[in-house]
Amino acid sequence: MISAAALAVVFAFVQLSSVRLTNPPSMGELSAPFEVSEILRRSCYDCHSNQTRWPWYSRVAPFSWIVVHHVELGRKEVNFSEWGDYYPLTRQRKLQWMQRALQQQVMPPWSYTLMHRGTRLSADDRARLQRWIEIELTENTSGQSK
Amino acid sequence: MPRRPFVKSVLTVAATVSVLALCIPSFASGTDASEIRFENHQFAPQMLSVRAGQPLTIKVVNASNETIEFESFKLNREKAISPGESITVGLPALSAGNYDFYDDFHQDVPEGSIVAK
Repeated sequence: MISAAALAVVFAFVQLSSVRLTNPPSMGELSAPFEVSEILRRSCYDCHSNQTRWPWYSRVAPFSWIVVHHVELGRKEVNFSEWGDYYPLTRQRKLQWMQRALQQQVMPPWSYTLMHRGTRLSADDRARLQRWIEIELTENTSGQSK
Repeated sequence: MPRRPFVKSVLTVAATVSVLALCIPSFASGTDASEIRFENHQFAPQMLSVRAGQPLTIKVVNASNETIEFESFKLNREKAISPGESITVGLPALSAGNYDFYDDFHQDVPEGSIVAK
C-alpha cells in the first residue's frame, strides 16, 4: 500500500525535473482576416503557434510533461507562427486537414476544451473557418498553377 | 494398423499448411503486407504497388535519426514515428488509383505514392 506521504515525496521529487515552456519568435505569422485570426488565436494557437498561453498546470509535473509533449506535436502538425514559411503545397495540405478536422469536429480536442471552455468552437466559428479555408484553398491552388 | 498412415498424412498436411502460413502470413490472413522505409531523408520505395480491392497493412520503418510523420490525406492517415521506431498502418481495400503519402514534419522530403492496381 502506498501511503499519502510516499506519494507526496514522489510528487515533490518529480518537480525537480524541468521542462522548457518556450515561445520561439515567429517565422512568418499567418495573415488572415481579423474574425478568422481571432478564432484561431482563441481556440488553436495554444498548441499550433509559438504564442502558447502556458496554463498554470504546465508548470507542475507530471502534467507539464504531457502539455509540453502535446504542444511540441501540435506545432509540428501545423504552426500558424510559421505559416508564411510553408511551401504552397504544405499549406494546401494543412488547410485540407483543418477542413476535415472541422467537419469531423475533432478539433480542438475535447480533453482540451474541458479544461479551457472558452476555446470551444461555435457553429458560427466553424462556418467562418470553413469559408476562409475554402477561399484559401482556391487561391492557393490557382497560385500554384501560375 | 491402418490408422497410422492416416494420422501421419494428417500431420504432414497440417505441418505443410503451418509452414506456408508462417511464410506468407499476408495471404493466410487475407491481407497484403508491405513495408516502406524512411532513410537518408526519403521514403523507399517511393512508389509502392498494391492490389486494389484487397485490405493491406503497411509497416513504416523510420530508420533515420529524426522524428517523422507518415501522412496521407487521401488515406486519412497521420502518425508520428520516432527515430528507430516503426508503425503498422492498416488500410481497407483500396479502389484503383494513386494515393500520395509524405512526411508532414519535413517539407523537403519527396512525397511517395501507393498505387493500387
